[in-house]
Amino acid sequence: MRKFLLTVLTALSALALHAQNVSDLIISEALAQPDSTGILDGYGRRGGWVELYNKSTGTVNYAGCFLTDDRTQLRKSIIPKSDNRTKLGPRQVVLFYCSGNRHDGTFYTDFTLAPGKTVYLVSNDGRTIIDSLQIPANLPVGKSVAKLAPDIRQQEFAAQDQPAIPSPAILNGDRNAASRGELMKERDPHGWILSVTSVSVVFSALAILWFLFWFLFDRRAKKKAEHKPAKVVKGTPDAEIAAAIAVALDMEDSGDVYAAIATAVHLYLTECVHDAEPGIVTITRKESAWNNKALTFRKLPR
Amino acid sequence: MEHIFESLAQFWEYTGFANCSWQNLVMIGIGLIFITLAIVKEWEPMLLVPIGFGMIVGNIPMFPGLNIGVYEDGSVLNILYQGVKQGWYPPLIFLGIGAMTDFSALISQPRLILIGAAAQMGIFGAYLLALAFGFAPNEAGAIGIIGGADGPTAIFLSSKLAPDLMGAIAVSAYSYMALVPVIQKPIMLLLTNKKERLIRMPAPRVVSKQEKIIFPIVGFLITAFIVPSGLPLLGMLFFGNLLKESGVTKRLANTASGPLIDVVTTLIGLTVGASTQADKFITLKSLLIFGLGLLSFVIATTCGVLFVKLMNVFIKNPAKKINPLIGNAGVSAVPDSARVSETVGREIDPSNHLLMHAMGPNVAGVIGSAVAAGILLSFLG
Repeated sequence: MRKFLLTVLTALSALALHAQNVSDLIISEALAQPDSTGILDGYGRRGGWVELYNKSTGTVNYAGCFLTDDRTQLRKSIIPKSDNRTKLGPRQVVLFYCSGNRHDGTFYTDFTLAPGKTVYLVSNDGRTIIDSLQIPANLPVGKSVAKLAPDIRQQEFAAQDQPAIPSPAILNGDRNAASRGELMKERDPHGWILSVTSVSVVFSALAILWFLFWFLFDRRAKKKAEHKPAKVVKGTPDAEIAAAIAVALDMEDSGDVYAAIATAVHLYLTECVHDAEPGIVTITRKESAWNNKALTFRKLPR
Repeated sequence: MEHIFESLAQFWEYTGFANCSWQNLVMIGIGLIFITLAIVKEWEPMLLVPIGFGMIVGNIPMFPGLNIGVYEDGSVLNILYQGVKQGWYPPLIFLGIGAMTDFSALISQPRLILIGAAAQMGIFGAYLLALAFGFAPNEAGAIGIIGGADGPTAIFLSSKLAPDLMGAIAVSAYSYMALVPVIQKPIMLLLTNKKERLIRMPAPRVVSKQEKIIFPIVGFLITAFIVPSGLPLLGMLFFGNLLKESGVTKRLANTASGPLIDVVTTLIGLTVGASTQADKFITLKSLLIFGLGLLSFVIATTCGVLFVKLMNVFIKNPAKKINPLIGNAGVSAVPDSARVSETVGREIDPSNHLLMHAMGPNVAGVIGSAVAAGILLSFLG
């Protein structure tokens, strides 16, 4: 049973690991028909291209994945496994030229693009479609179809209805968008909104903690204590302890002695850590590596 | 013979004497003061000795390009400094703090948690002031966290929000933590009267093992769900505490609270100190950061003490009133600020021991400052 559980857990971990990798890739942009200003590939040609985007915050290795324009032939154009450039950094893009011949290089596909086609990105198992992007049949020449993520988490990407101005190998959307700090400066120049919000959150978090522990434990413990008669320690009335402490405090002027007496009495009364004799509080010496003589002696040479 | 003189002249160019500036000497002087305070006054020696010596190490004047300085890529000091720059050390320190902390004082009196929240106002007070002084919001957030009185949190947040200011922020945070007895006592005396200082609090109840085990799990779930950006700090803090309280991982708890935290504290102190190279450190901004850091401690202490007084207004049962002298302990700085409560309390009534009570808000302050850091990271990161 134990082995079975471990196997299941390992399998689940492996799945989770996979989920953090190629499944984080999307086809972020595609262009089927370039105009005269379109980007040139490594051979000086103008043609269609597909752009992939890594929406995760970790590096993704997409070697062995496939690109295709045919749903019935998912393994049409493989991304070479032997090229170490097939690692895509967090929130970065990579461009594939759809030249129709993948032997042109790592970043070339075995198909060309045309309006009305759909491009698929397929996982390295050759079966799982990770993402797809349909090129509208009426997409004008020189325009691309792009995906954007309007949500704050930048995870839910959707293809835009309007044709986009091509931005090959460049992040889609507002590339000069203000950082959170800059936005905050605009919205809250004096800082009051952030301060009040933050103080409220800190109080809420700790107040929830307070309520939970008060409700779950403190309240019950106090109720229990009210109903339970006070614990009487046999043979050691509180007055005797008080008198012993008073005498000790009169005699000694060292903070260590106070602490030792207080600890011993506390342990005795609350946790009954005490040896057999009634009425005597014993502080047992505990050896450690620092004061154990056996450990500090040096061996004599023979 | 001529060649020998030429070689000596060339060697002279590499020596510290030839490359020395007055700023280097000032920083070395500050480093020496830190070491003196740590050894003579015993103010936070575990921190001030490594930081002070690190300041001296980082400010030895040298010929640039020898690949030995803390800011030179690939140098030994630079590699060790990555733990500060990338924020690796603070969560490891939090792991150790968690493994050392006993939350019993807090669990037995849950209401004291709120004092830990009130004292975090120092962070946001300093944030407002820093903005007024013209700092950018991310810089203001990093400066504000000094008010959390928690060195690792200050380093963690400033490494994310304002890496350029991290040296000044870290040194400021640790210096004021060492000066907690000097800063807090007059404020506590100013804000309380004799009657309040004499309040005796009921002895905390005994906390069961079950409560101690549940606390880190529940505490982590609540705080991390509310502020996931504080995950590295909160996760490590509560994980360390679970190692301690579970009772079945003593070896791990001992390592986390012993050798591990010692190693990381040594490295963090030394590299933070070394990062205060004169040319990067002696600026008007650094002086402002020191000033704002002091104010944040003052605001935090004031808010903590005043919040206890406010709580007392609503507590009708005189036997359950809280001594406002434990309000200062809400500013993290474990356990120094709790010690200040004890010392000031005993000055007026030698038999009134406040240490155990003050540890409640003190450890709540650790949680509160980590939560506050997470919030600032969410808004400004």
